[in-house]
Amino acid sequence: MAQDTVVFSARKIVTMNASRPSATHVAVREGRIVAVGSQDEIASLGGGKVDDRFKDKVLLPGFVEGHSHIMEGMMWSLPYVGAFDRRSPEGKVVEGVPTIDTIVERLQHAEKAMTDPEAPLFAWGFDPLHIGSISLTRQDLDRVSTTRPIMVVHASFHISNVNTIVLQRAELDRTTNISGVVMGRDGEPSGEVQGIAARFRVFRVLGSNPLSGNLSVDDVNRYASSCCVQGVTTVTDLHNDLADQTIEVYRTASRRDDFSVRLVPAMASVSHSPDAGIAKIKALTATNNDKLHYGIVKLVVDGSIQGFTARLRWPGYHNGAQNGLWYIAPEELPGIVAAYHAAGIQMHIHTNGDEATEVAIEAVEAAQIATPKPDHRHTLQHCQMADAAQFKRMKALGICVNLFANHVYYWGDSHYDLTMGPERANRLDATGTALRTGVPFAIHSDAPVTPLSPLFTAWCAVNRVTSSGRVLGKDTEALTVQQALNAITVDAAYTLKLDHLVGSIETGKYADFVVLDADPLEVAPETIKDINIWGTVVGGIVREAPRA
Amino acid sequence: MMASPRITTPVTVIGGFLGAGKTTYLNHLLRNGPGRYAVLVNDFGAVNIDAGLIAKHDGETMTLTNGCVCCSIGSGFLDTLGRILDGGTRFDHIIIEASGVGDPWRIAEIALVEPSLRLNAVIVLADASRIGQLLAEQRVGDTVRGQFDRCNLILLNKIDLLDRATLDKARAELVALRPGVAIIETTAHTLPGLPDGISNPASRFAATDAADHECNFRRWAYRRDGVFDRDRLEAALGALPPQLLRLKGPCSVTEPAHPQLLQMVGRDWALTPVEPDSSNDNDILLVGIGTANLPPAATLDAILDAALIPPLTTTAELNRRAVTSNI
Ligand SMILES: [Zn+2]
Repeated sequence: MAQDTVVFSARKIVTMNASRPSATHVAVREGRIVAVGSQDEIASLGGGKVDDRFKDKVLLPGFVEGHSHIMEGMMWSLPYVGAFDRRSPEGKVVEGVPTIDTIVERLQHAEKAMTDPEAPLFAWGFDPLHIGSISLTRQDLDRVSTTRPIMVVHASFHISNVNTIVLQRAELDRTTNISGVVMGRDGEPSGEVQGIAARFRVFRVLGSNPLSGNLSVDDVNRYASSCCVQGVTTVTDLHNDLADQTIEVYRTASRRDDFSVRLVPAMASVSHSPDAGIAKIKALTATNNDKLHYGIVKLVVDGSIQGFTARLRWPGYHNGAQNGLWYIAPEELPGIVAAYHAAGIQMHIHTNGDEATEVAIEAVEAAQIATPKPDHRHTLQHCQMADAAQFKRMKALGICVNLFANHVYYWGDSHYDLTMGPERANRLDATGTALRTGVPFAIHSDAPVTPLSPLFTAWCAVNRVTSSGRVLGKDTEALTVQQALNAITVDAAYTLKLDHLVGSIETGKYADFVVLDADPLEVAPETIKDINIWGTVVGGIVREAPRA
Repeated sequence: MMASPRITTPVTVIGGFLGAGKTTYLNHLLRNGPGRYAVLVNDFGAVNIDAGLIAKHDGETMTLTNGCVCCSIGSGFLDTLGRILDGGTRFDHIIIEASGVGDPWRIAEIALVEPSLRLNAVIVLADASRIGQLLAEQRVGDTVRGQFDRCNLILLNKIDLLDRATLDKARAELVALRPGVAIIETTAHTLPGLPDGISNPASRFAATDAADHECNFRRWAYRRDGVFDRDRLEAALGALPPQLLRLKGPCSVTEPAHPQLLQMVGRDWALTPVEPDSSNDNDILLVGIGTANLPPAATLDAILDAALIPPLTTTAELNRRAVTSNI
């Protein structure tokens, strides 16, 4: 055996390779796995340097996050004001702020640390649904500052709250009559702004939009650091215009030897005509390296369920809200889908509501009839309301699905009470139905919408408990821990067409591992989210997660 | 507080479902624009401008030899519009294409809150051959209906493909949806210019399809000395016919007493304080733009006269003081 081979020994290696589920030793050379097995089996290779630093640890294949966004790396440069605890890229547990007073306190703290008195203060992660539907008003934010512009971006990224100085500078007052400027009880704007017109005006007076600023290598490294903290070794950026500047940053970041994650960007279909998009993806794919994998496209068909912008089939929203928005027209979708399909480009199609899902299934069906392509693996993303009949059609057409398991915890109560009602909420993100119908599936966080943390996502799919403690469809839709681990490793890799490279610990694949203090298959299923993550190995390079 | 008078650029939003003819209309406006237009479109590929008329094309932006500029929105609408406002070039008009499933009013609202802009019109196109079916369609019916909610002008397009009975049925569907809103029947070759009051239709291009520009809209000017009663003015504005698309100009009202600028688009109107302009001969000088079937000036004059203090009543006085014109 070559002298540059390293043999990692561990208390246990859970391989996620069904043919060889567990082992204790894994040999690595040139960033890839040479052999997996027992000490004796590995010894047959004849040598190599033994590294036993993981002798008390459990190795799994590095987690694969099949739906998250680079914005997770960008947001952490700003204060977090969500209701739930969240771990930063530095490994620090940032406590949730579940009341207006604690939100204001956190913002005051951040404000004091700022040196330029004119610079606006942005914060993120707020969701009124998580604090008893209490709104954050301009008066609350005025307690932080009456002179510095402040903007708090909601978890949904569609709504924001600003303080009075921002409203004044934007000349938004009691006479403003547009839908996106919400009025308070005093007849003056409450500080809540949403929609294209209000956003345009507010960002102009603030001088910038923190969500559309130029991507930097620091942002990408912060994203990679979060991945290490959460045990993720392959991560998506599932909706990106892929502007030249972004492409350059990704190239630079991914070529560094110590870059600790494999990045899979999906081009946003909305930013290009299909012809231009196909040409761009093909050109970018030719530049792929070990840690940068272009090749997929993202289509967004509808909005979000809790924002009432998802498209639902009859009878629509449980509370009678009017149906949501099409982002791509149902009659336009087939043409776009047919073009990418015929070009052999894998599509990731965002459909939240079941009417959007139906339209997407029809479009893939038509494309398959026109140009049959085996193993296309087009994947419906979120697909939160699909019923068994839709899953059966997906199965027949070779469609995969990536279900938004974290929604059960974060918005399951809202779905039960407001958007779907009990029956449909119980089969929200129907992982059990996917299993029964044989549709290949992954589960995801959509970070930064919810926290990047595959073990937590697996916990959601296993326990199906909401943030208030209600259990949704556990008997029918829950996964076992083994099934949930599949959905955050090898099956997530399958939805990205990367399962020949990552997702399990077996000979020939990249040496990408997550290092855990305990075996998820041994601990109580209610505690898998609490297992400590020591760090990762990416391409054989060990990286201990930062702990702050 | 006095708002300082600002130079504002008019904004027109063009909406309508896929296939209604938005792109043809935008092409028409770009080629024949009597002024320097900035046109924001969803898909560059669909814009069909002769290569000879393109002065510069740098990927995101296409500059035409007539001074018009066409920008691709891509996914960054806010950035694109911001660049136009900050670019240093003053445009006579900004025209924005809403997406085929978008709500044009949401975009029009930008012109209501951005001080450097003012809303000129929301124009929604409808394909006469399928609008009836689309309005009732299960998946997109609500989206299509919503696009007409706040428009001031409907272009019922592609009428050359239809017999009169079918056309009347399509028209009736739209009238039922938006009773009284102005409707102009058009074909790809008879699309109008913008109802923007720019009176020089002479394009720098000898475009054959520009001839209809003049007759599709009618202008009405209302000049009076005197003061409007605030409450009666509100009632009078509400009584003006829907064929009137816009009304704008200085006037005096009882409350507040300072000279005001009246701006009305569709049914929305606002008064903002202005400096008295000594070059005006009249206290009140309102200019309106309507469709070709705008009622006679005398009818319109009478509606506003009812809001004056004291109300004007005699026909002789009306005839003496009213000035009307067509473009
Ligand atoms: Zn997403």
